[in-house]
Amino acid sequence: MKSFLFIGIILLAGLMAGVTLGLVNLLLVEPLIDSATNIENQNLINSGKSSDSPSFWANYYSYRAWQKGGEILAGAILGISYGSLFGIVFVVSKNTLPGNNIIKKSLVLGLVFWLVLYAVPFTKYPANPPSVGQSSTIEFRQDVYLIFVVISGFTALGFFWLYKKIQKKIILFAGYGGIMIITYMVMPENPDPIQMEFGLLAEFRAMSVIGMSVFWGALSVFLGILWEKTAMDKIFKS
Amino acid sequence: MSQPKEILISKSSIPRIAIIALAAIFALGLFAVGFDEGHLFSIAFGDKAFDQMYLHELSHDLRHAAGFPCH
Repeated sequence: MKSFLFIGIILLAGLMAGVTLGLVNLLLVEPLIDSATNIENQNLINSGKSSDSPSFWANYYSYRAWQKGGEILAGAILGISYGSLFGIVFVVSKNTLPGNNIIKKSLVLGLVFWLVLYAVPFTKYPANPPSVGQSSTIEFRQDVYLIFVVISGFTALGFFWLYKKIQKKIILFAGYGGIMIITYMVMPENPDPIQMEFGLLAEFRAMSVIGMSVFWGALSVFLGILWEKTAMDKIFKS
Repeated sequence: MSQPKEILISKSSIPRIAIIALAAIFALGLFAVGFDEGHLFSIAFGDKAFDQMYLHELSHDLRHAAGFPCH
């Protein structure tokens, strides 16, 4: 019963944060993706790879409807997924986290997750709209992105463990920063050229940052509130 | 006079099964939304799943917005 409650509040917090992310993306990111896919379509037509025909546009609007409709559902799945990891780390680390109440502790951890899983990888492999990124390089780009995120995550975890042993914050920040600077320099660049106007690219990346910041903030607040409401601290020691 | 009272608070440790379940949900969910190119549906639908890429297309816009590599 305790396990069901524990898992339940974590999944619910993730679900709510993920739906929030989907809604924010529908509002902020979708118009930019539409602009980018229009550029992509024009490039396909101009290069002769596709014809400007009714069947082309019917197919386009069909899959765009599927993609747009997926924002909320995919957001919910991502929220539940990230929420699960967040919940595991929160329950084992909450006594070490700064903050005089559970919501503040959750927000601190949310900031760490935002930094480690999103912001630091973003400096090397930033979010790109459609039309940046070729199908032929997708596996390579997925591999290097995943490797970068995994290194970031395990480095943070490793230095947090060390910090708990020796209680020196400088070790935590300098160690993580040092390893990630080396990782940044060693990891290969995104191989795909960027052939779109800088304004649209910059706006898309800014909206990505806003969306993911809202997501991690929402996840932290939702989990903190649910943790308090269900008196989870009285059930589990950490 | 007040009587001294002994209060026993029993707290259980974090259930390992819950941690394993959450870790599995994390890995599966992240793969489905961030990295799947037809792999999951190919278990049921075979190689044509790699051409249709339903999950990829469903999560396409979110992938771009959340910083995952896409095309």
